[in-house]
Amino acid sequence: MTSIVQNFRNLALSIKQNGGLYRSILQLYRVDEIKEGEYIGTDRNGNRYYQNKRFFVGRSRWVIYNEKYGLDYDGTHVDPEWHGWLHYVRDDPPTVKPPITYKWVTPNPQENKTGTPDNYVPYSTVKPKIEAWVPKSNKK
Amino acid sequence: MNKLIINSSKKLLSSSLNKNILKSQTALLSNVVPDNRIEVFVDDKPVLVQPGVTVLQACAEAGVEIPRFCYHERLAIAGNCRMCLVEIERTPKPVASCAMPVMKGMKIKTDSPVTRKAREGVMEFMLVNHPLDCPVCDQGGECDLQDQAMAFGSDRSRFTDNLFSGKRATEDKNLGPLVKTSMNRCIHCTRCVRFASEVAGVDDLGTTGRGNDMQIGTYVEKLLASEVSGNVIDLCPVGALTSKPYAFTARPWELRKISSIDVLDALGSNIVVQHRAGDVMRILPRLNEDINEEWLDDKARFSYDGLRRQRLVTPMVRGHDGLLKPCEWDDAFYAIADKLSRASGSQIAALAGGLADAESLVALKDLMNRLGSENVFVEESFPGQASGTDLRSNYVANSGITNLEQADLVLLVGTNPRYEAPLYNTRIRKSLVHNELKVALIGSQVNLSYEYDYLGDSAQILEDLLNGKHEYSKFLAKAKKPLIVLGSAALQRKDGDALLNLATRLSEKLRTQNGCPNDWRVFNVLHRWASQVAALDIGYRSGIEQIKAQKPKILYLLGADEDLVSRVDGDDTFIIYQGHHGDRGAEIADVVLPGAAYTEKSATYVNTEGRAQQASFVVAPPGKAKEDWQILRALSDVLGNPLPYDDLDALRKRMGEVSPTLTSYDKIESASFLPLSVSLSQKVKPALSKEPIRAWQTELGDFYMTNPISRASLTMARCVQSFKKTNEPVKQTQANANP
Amino acid sequence: MINNSINKIIPFLKNSPSASSQILVRYQSAAAAAPPKQKKTTFGGLKDEDRIFTNLYGRHDWKLKGAMSRGDWYKTKEILLKGSDWIINEVKASGLRGRGGAGFPSGLKWSFMNKPSDGRPKYLVINADEGEPGTCKDREIMRHDPHKLVEGCLIAGRAMGARAAYIYIRGEFYNESSNMQAAINEAYKAGLIGKNACGTGYDFDVYMHRGAGAYICGEETALIESLEGKQGKPRLKPPFPADIGLFGCPTTVTNVETVAVAPTICRRGGSWFASFGRERNSGTKLFNISGHVNNPCTVEEEMSIPLKELIERHAGGVIGGWDNLLAIIPGGSSVPLIPKKTCEEVLMDFDSLVQAQTGLGTAAIIVMNKQTDVVKAIARLSLFYKHESCGQCTPCREGTVWLTKMMDRFVEGKARIDEIDMIWELSKQIEGHTICALGDAAAWPVQGLIRHFRPELERRIKEFHATHKGHVLDKLAKYAN
Repeated sequence: MTSIVQNFRNLALSIKQNGGLYRSILQLYRVDEIKEGEYIGTDRNGNRYYQNKRFFVGRSRWVIYNEKYGLDYDGTHVDPEWHGWLHYVRDDPPTVKPPITYKWVTPNPQENKTGTPDNYVPYSTVKPKIEAWVPKSNKK
Repeated sequence: MNKLIINSSKKLLSSSLNKNILKSQTALLSNVVPDNRIEVFVDDKPVLVQPGVTVLQACAEAGVEIPRFCYHERLAIAGNCRMCLVEIERTPKPVASCAMPVMKGMKIKTDSPVTRKAREGVMEFMLVNHPLDCPVCDQGGECDLQDQAMAFGSDRSRFTDNLFSGKRATEDKNLGPLVKTSMNRCIHCTRCVRFASEVAGVDDLGTTGRGNDMQIGTYVEKLLASEVSGNVIDLCPVGALTSKPYAFTARPWELRKISSIDVLDALGSNIVVQHRAGDVMRILPRLNEDINEEWLDDKARFSYDGLRRQRLVTPMVRGHDGLLKPCEWDDAFYAIADKLSRASGSQIAALAGGLADAESLVALKDLMNRLGSENVFVEESFPGQASGTDLRSNYVANSGITNLEQADLVLLVGTNPRYEAPLYNTRIRKSLVHNELKVALIGSQVNLSYEYDYLGDSAQILEDLLNGKHEYSKFLAKAKKPLIVLGSAALQRKDGDALLNLATRLSEKLRTQNGCPNDWRVFNVLHRWASQVAALDIGYRSGIEQIKAQKPKILYLLGADEDLVSRVDGDDTFIIYQGHHGDRGAEIADVVLPGAAYTEKSATYVNTEGRAQQASFVVAPPGKAKEDWQILRALSDVLGNPLPYDDLDALRKRMGEVSPTLTSYDKIESASFLPLSVSLSQKVKPALSKEPIRAWQTELGDFYMTNPISRASLTMARCVQSFKKTNEPVKQTQANANP
Repeated sequence: MINNSINKIIPFLKNSPSASSQILVRYQSAAAAAPPKQKKTTFGGLKDEDRIFTNLYGRHDWKLKGAMSRGDWYKTKEILLKGSDWIINEVKASGLRGRGGAGFPSGLKWSFMNKPSDGRPKYLVINADEGEPGTCKDREIMRHDPHKLVEGCLIAGRAMGARAAYIYIRGEFYNESSNMQAAINEAYKAGLIGKNACGTGYDFDVYMHRGAGAYICGEETALIESLEGKQGKPRLKPPFPADIGLFGCPTTVTNVETVAVAPTICRRGGSWFASFGRERNSGTKLFNISGHVNNPCTVEEEMSIPLKELIERHAGGVIGGWDNLLAIIPGGSSVPLIPKKTCEEVLMDFDSLVQAQTGLGTAAIIVMNKQTDVVKAIARLSLFYKHESCGQCTPCREGTVWLTKMMDRFVEGKARIDEIDMIWELSKQIEGHTICALGDAAAWPVQGLIRHFRPELERRIKEFHATHKGHVLDKLAKYAN
């Protein structure tokens, strides 16, 4: 009995946290799930991070992507600083314990460009099949 | 697979061949006995065969294929592989069918337990010491041993001893840059040895050691110095001899095979071009009894890597800074049109090179004529004082290639067929070995791989022979089927007219006075370039001198790469070069138009005996290059004077109008105007030069790089290098001997 | 020498115009018909006056003078003048069979050559390449009685109308070749051979050629190749040498002994020669007895002498007595061995030995007593044939090596029982599948061993496996069958 009550309470909490019924449905459409949890922080891309230890490890930390991404959110939108916390590499989020920055760490991480015109193409290591003639620079 | 190709091409050719064979047989038989064939029984099936054929051939007649390794129909019988053992009724032991002549009433059993057991046993012995490296062997997929082990071998191994002592290991031999050896795989069939000594005429290959230590090799490590060495690769039934340039590049089943013809000499050998994904991977011979049998010379076989190097892939125009710059087709055409609009017809000339196809030759001549120019020339000159190029019989090998086998005397003038047309030379050698042909030579004293009578190198000898003053005249007079082969290199001399004149008159004299058969032709010209006969057919003339004297304003080079015209000759000349390789011609050009090589276009070539054949489109021309006739057609459009053919069919129709011989494929039109030409030639009396007649090529090193394609080939360059390397010490010792 | 099996025939060749008669006859000779009726029943004990080789042991002068004193070159001119048909008939009447191993009737063989000439010269080639292990008869003739051979060349050459004789002598026989050459020179000087030989108006030359140490050059076609200056590798037959032989001309290759007895046959008559030995196996023969006997020797004896008597009478018996005998190889290394039981009754002639599943070969008797490791002995023979295989055709080139490898293992017993059947089968795969008879010669000793000593092989294998538990061969059992 308590569990049903509990479930309804959690649902209500979730809907509340997601900003009302309309936004909850929108959220459900976007990520197929609405959860209630403790707000941990926001990264520089505007993604919001939550935690709820009621869920088992692996599901207890999550990210709600910035709405600017629409349905095209991607794992690489997670800020590298937050990546460690989100994937349980670190216990503390960067809001509590800022990560050490090195010289080699890129200041502006980029999203995955695969499938876009900017995608990475490796240069060819194969010799051209036809070796073209290059005229000698002899003048007329 | 090679065999498969031969088989399939055999099938293709069989209709025409059979007709020929039947004709000759009936001709022969009608004189002698009507039918002296004897009956034998192959697996109880009666077969009628000629007496003297072998059991193996009789079985082939009956449609039963006997497995074999050492037997090859063009080589002497060795009988040493023992794979062809068959049981013959009432014999105590199985008999080697490749060597056994048939007897009347012989009962051959090709599938009896005894036969099968014998084959299985021999196959097992073959495999005892044959490495299991099929996955890394280049012969894999076209290996006789593989195929026959599948068909006739046992299905399990008993090679316990190999666990204790391993298989035989033999050191690989270095036979030069063409033939790769892996001697562990050798099954000692000695086909290569027999080919080298019988067909190629070099005794470089042989066996050393005995028993299980027997090895095939060159005795001391040296280059396999033959111009037809590549054929040992086709002959080798296993992967012991494979192609070095082709090594590990492709598997036979990945390749697409397209029949074509070779254009690197004037014989027009039939080839199979094998390509994968737009790359020509290798070139193999295709059976044509009339031309190349089943051989191919090394230049034709191995210079395919030249098709990928030094290519012209984009049009180029010489800019204001004097450098050739890549551009679009339109830019090149407009640059040409600009110049042409300011030149009159007589100021324009065209020069065609040795690899040009008949289609583009016709298109170029038509274009030139439309521009009002009659100056269409061919690089290789041909004397034209008397009847010259007007009569076809003056400039083709009238007797054809196959008739070499019937001739009883061949007089070579100013040619070294061994390097100018290697397969022509192997025909002469074949006839010499089997028919006791006599060969005489006027020109450089070169090694023809067989013995011949050397008459000297003076042009005067020809005149002496004609007048009967020379001591060799008596042999000529005795010959019933003489042949005179005049090398086209000799016709490049100043007294080319006189040589041609003398040779035709001598030929006609022999033909009329020696009692030759009616259809026997004596006079032959052995050309060096694949385009020459077609060019002369179409009406091209030799005119280098004229170009040098007149200095035309515009010179159109169609693959002319032999360095005969240079910048110095016409400083103001606007030179257009159309061709496929960046060679000597492109170097001096103002506009470069990239054309197609012989593997990249469907094109007609006429060989030295006047036989028109088609090369096939195998791979697409690289980059922006186009087929040559299309370039000329497009150019004519830009010039506002379009040529009247839009496709190949229309062009071929036009070719037929120009000369019907160009489109009557695979036929030789027998030319019988020699008497006329002789009477015409009597009117002119050109003077003979005192200069000795020299051969174009005297040693193997000269043979490899003779045209833009082979000059671009790395393989051919390696051949030249290794030839030089092997011959250096010899030269030094010779120099020491004669200080 | 090793051409034991060459006389197998191809009967349908009967109708062929070329090799017909020769092959036909070969067939008849080999097709062992019903044994002919014997006139004699006891053989052996050749009397001194019936010996042909009277200087076999070199106790007398081998030069021309000594030879003439022993009756050589006596009335040779008269024999020659009687003509080739007479000589051939005399040899036919004598029943002489080739002494090189194959046992082909010599009269017939010589008569093949006696065809009308087609313009090519004919040659007689003497096979003096005596390389068969155990054989030492030709060398005795050549060093101690060379004039018998020279005279034999002349007579045999006359019989077949040959232009010249080539003696192909084994390279290792240095002294023999020296004596031979000296005898030839003497004969030339005395006008016995050369132009107008013996004053008969017949020109006949004798040349000697030394080999270079290859056993295979004892095969007739390999010998011809070697004589022509090529690698000594046997040719395919047909065509037979009688059609296309040395330098492309009709040639007959015969053994030294065959030719050397011809003059005596002609002088004393074919019927005299035929009076020795059983029907179809007539004549006297040089026997070489070696191995475990008290007195190894080469001796001339009547054909068909019982093996036991031959050994007891001339070789002083087997070491340790007859009961100590293990096996005998009766005809040189290339024939199968026979066990003691067979040795007791077998007669030393072609037919009797064939009946005993072996052969007369060169009549080189190799005696092995019970101290012999018979497997090792045969393994050594296999090694010999491996070493001497010319490498031309597959079964012999690969098979001899394989046999050797297996025999070496059998010596230790490092094999499986089923491998005995396998080696038998292997030897059958070699036998009869090769160009020349070397393949057969390599296969037969192994076959003889398995036929008679299989228990010994099995014992060794069991012993080995008992002492080497878990040997790799056990794991290879899956390869069996």
